[in-house]
Amino acid sequence: MSRTLAVARMQLVTKWTYLGNPLVILAAAFLLSVAIFALIPADEPKYGGGSQAPLWYFMVLGIQSMTLAFPFSQGLSVSRRAFYLGTLGLFSVLAVAMTAIYLLGGIAERATNGWGVNGFFFAIPWVSDGPWYGTAVFYFTVMMLMFIIGFWFATIYKRWGTTGMLISLIGSAVLLLGFAALATLSLWWGSIGAWLVQQTPLTMGAWAAVLCVALAVGSYLTLRRATP
Amino acid sequence: MNGAVVEARNLTKRYRDVLALDDVSIRLSADRIYGLLGRNGAGKTTLMSVLTAQAFATSGDALVFGEEAYENDRVLSRVCFIRESQKYPDDFTAFHAFKAARLLFRNWDQAFAERLIGDFGLPVKRRIKKLSRGQLSAVGVIIGLASRAELTFFDEPYLGLDAVARQLFYDRLLEDFTDSPRTVVLSSHLIDEVANLLDHVIVIDQGRILIDAESDALRGSAATVVGPAPKVNEFVTGMKVLHREALGPLASVTVDETLSAAQRTGAARLGLEVAPVSLQQLVIRKTLINHPSRRVPGGDAELDSMEATR
Amino acid sequence: MIDDSRPIFLQIAGLIENEIVDGTLAEETQIPSTNEFAAFHRINPATAAKGVNVLVEDGILYKKRGIGMFVSTGARAALVARRTQEFFEQYVRPLVAEARKLGIPADELSRMIIRGADGAPAEGGNRERSAAS
Repeated sequence: MSRTLAVARMQLVTKWTYLGNPLVILAAAFLLSVAIFALIPADEPKYGGGSQAPLWYFMVLGIQSMTLAFPFSQGLSVSRRAFYLGTLGLFSVLAVAMTAIYLLGGIAERATNGWGVNGFFFAIPWVSDGPWYGTAVFYFTVMMLMFIIGFWFATIYKRWGTTGMLISLIGSAVLLLGFAALATLSLWWGSIGAWLVQQTPLTMGAWAAVLCVALAVGSYLTLRRATP
Repeated sequence: MNGAVVEARNLTKRYRDVLALDDVSIRLSADRIYGLLGRNGAGKTTLMSVLTAQAFATSGDALVFGEEAYENDRVLSRVCFIRESQKYPDDFTAFHAFKAARLLFRNWDQAFAERLIGDFGLPVKRRIKKLSRGQLSAVGVIIGLASRAELTFFDEPYLGLDAVARQLFYDRLLEDFTDSPRTVVLSSHLIDEVANLLDHVIVIDQGRILIDAESDALRGSAATVVGPAPKVNEFVTGMKVLHREALGPLASVTVDETLSAAQRTGAARLGLEVAPVSLQQLVIRKTLINHPSRRVPGGDAELDSMEATR
Repeated sequence: MIDDSRPIFLQIAGLIENEIVDGTLAEETQIPSTNEFAAFHRINPATAAKGVNVLVEDGILYKKRGIGMFVSTGARAALVARRTQEFFEQYVRPLVAEARKLGIPADELSRMIIRGADGAPAEGGNRERSAAS
């Protein structure tokens, strides 16, 4: 347990990677969005997708933790299990904190009528419709998912090299395309559309959580035999 | 005498078409300094990686402090393995690396680390990826020494370090080893530099253990006899010859024998000179005799030139 | 200093013996600790300890518990006796062999030895000749 905690603290030794960078990216995206909202002379509410910017950084974090922090942790005699738990634990804490920022941002946004310029960055439609905990679950699981996807691909890369990663990338693409083709042939799109319309942030969050768990378990099993 | 810190039995590691370790069995005792010597690609790094559970053996097993090291934090927390090609997170400075090491090595000595930073003149605020090769090595050396792990592996820790810095490393190692004894495994090509520090020598070649002996047992275990060829040949009859060189009518023959006082007197009577063979020479001779097809002419430079062509 | 000819612990023992024979280490005085030997010669402390132990076994040194190692009374005489025995094989034989190689007759060799013992310099002509060859 203490080593798991040490792994998390080890990655916080540089404050920027896990704390500074996400906040800077979020702040930059936010300020830019508000500036653009202010320049648009429309009266109806304006919505922007800028709040997804930090999510892409989380994928980078997932990749880096495996390609750089993992070999370093091995150099400090950390077991793979302690590294995995410490890293995932650290990321969960980050995702909780970011979710809180998004929720509070959404509340502030509504209270100030879109920062006085009727622009909405955090409280975007669909995601912020419904109860707050639905929004919270959605934000949290999507952040986790981004991180774990990055982590998972990097684990494949560490274990099986470039070939392994290419195969898994192509494999994922083939699966998705195959499903799309199957859906087209079987005329499923109508029912898929209907199903999607029924989803709330909470249920989507739950589906994302299922995917997270599957990828996290897969990452762990791959990591067990990965070498630095 | 001392309990076994490492007990490896029949370790074999096969990469696709290479046998990196071939039935390696070794035993490391507590509080001694081991030299792990051999050419590049001989299997040194692989062996250390397998022992520290960073890589996996194809077959065989290894116990560290009496237990399997794999996924065993109890064992791993007592071990430190300084890799020659250790990776650090992108934005890490040496300062960050030491801070992280302090979190994970329970015997970490911060005062010692700071003294070493001063000794090596390491710029701790500079990003590690901007450091020179020697400074990068110094980061590893400092972590390896200040961690005071009961079992410490140094994998060619001297790359890029100049002669002064290397001497500093050997001196600090010896000094700290004297104060806090532990088991140290030093993998090296610079055999002459480390020879006097070693309790025990393990030479690995093509994945196989070639020599596993106390260094004092090796010292003087071979000799080079120089003189007129017929007399030299007469003298070495029946001895195991490691190497033979000729210069006109003179011959220089290295024999794998501990010469007795009587034999030395006999050599002197024949007008032959008997010269000692350094550990480095002995390792080179025994390595080359292990695969004669790759025999390379020359002396000391052989191991190093092999390295240069990597 | 340390060379490659024989085990380091024997060389350490030899160095201590030398200091006892030439009087640097007087009888009943304390010798440096094994750690000091190790640091000075840049050798493994275990090896230094092994060298010291050889002399303890021979009765040249003895241990005062909690203090350190001391030179035994009579150590110098014992060492001188042993080394005198070894002197012929170790020094006289190679000397004679070299003299024979150079064609120096036995009587000239003994004159040279006497001159060396008196501390006189070697003949200038000889030295130049050997330096030029």
